[in-house]
Amino acid sequence: MNPDIHKLLRFKRYEHPTPDYFERFLDEFHERQRADLLKQSALKLMWERMVDLMPSMRIPRLAYAGVAAMALILSAVILSSQQGETMAPASLALNAPTPVINTAPLARQVMHLPDSSRSDFPPHYVLESRPVSYESPYSF
Amino acid sequence: MAEDAQEPEINDEDMVAQTQNGDPRAFDALVRKYSSRLYGLVYNMTSNHEDTNDLLQDVFSKAYRSIKGFRGKSSFYTWLHTIATNTTINFLKKRSRGFQLSLDDIDSHVQFDPEFIELTSAHDARRDIDLKEMQQKLNEAMMKLSNDHRAVVTMFDIQGMPHAEIAKILKVSEGTVRSRLFYAHRQLQSYLQEFLTT
Repeated sequence: MNPDIHKLLRFKRYEHPTPDYFERFLDEFHERQRADLLKQSALKLMWERMVDLMPSMRIPRLAYAGVAAMALILSAVILSSQQGETMAPASLALNAPTPVINTAPLARQVMHLPDSSRSDFPPHYVLESRPVSYESPYSF
Repeated sequence: MAEDAQEPEINDEDMVAQTQNGDPRAFDALVRKYSSRLYGLVYNMTSNHEDTNDLLQDVFSKAYRSIKGFRGKSSFYTWLHTIATNTTINFLKKRSRGFQLSLDDIDSHVQFDPEFIELTSAHDARRDIDLKEMQQKLNEAMMKLSNDHRAVVTMFDIQGMPHAEIAKILKVSEGTVRSRLFYAHRQLQSYLQEFLTT
């Protein structure tokens, strides 16, 4: 250690702010603390309070897992039911019988299936490659 | 009378525990106790009063926010000084080179300091030592040091901390502290030759 340098640097102890600076410093510190508090979003404050409150509620840890699982299941059920509602009209439309409008003469269109097939399969006609039922069309 | 007027020494551990239990007045007591000492640390590293004020506010805000996590592995004093040193060094890394020295007034009591009297009497009689000039030169010389060197010089030479305490605050070995001091003193000697008695 260089004693002369050490002595010289010790004089820097005499550099300091005015005596009332440190009282004002504490006031400024309080002001800044309040300003910081106001800056914090309401959500963050709510979260902090919730976290602070949790240990004092003495809720067993498994209860948190249970509640989380229930919330997950509930949201899955709600989501799937909403999806079901939105999908329903489309699927019904797919299953619904397509109305066939026949404009050609009946004699030309009707094709009889061979007799052997009658016993195995329900009888039906093919009109221009499109199957139709036995029911008489109401439009006739 | 003077002794009666003195504030009783507060116990850091009690004040920390009270702050952790939600009493902000306990932290005020810690701010009062350490603001002057920390001011010296930060000011002598920055050589700027306004920067020191802002940094000191940041240091106490950081300490207040993280005091719940303080487990007492080191003393509160060491913990607070570590926050102050790290905050200041980080600030100095970002600060532009073109900053201005903004220095505090020198207490006129320096003229009664025996070491100052010794310095002025030993100094070249042709020229009186001008206090302001000496302050300016000292601060300029300090600012020529690296941040790490300036930190050890501030803590050891100006604040009078022991090597072991500085090592704890900076999280380095005592050997490193001594080595940094050696190189810093050598540099300062060349900058401040005119004030040194030979």
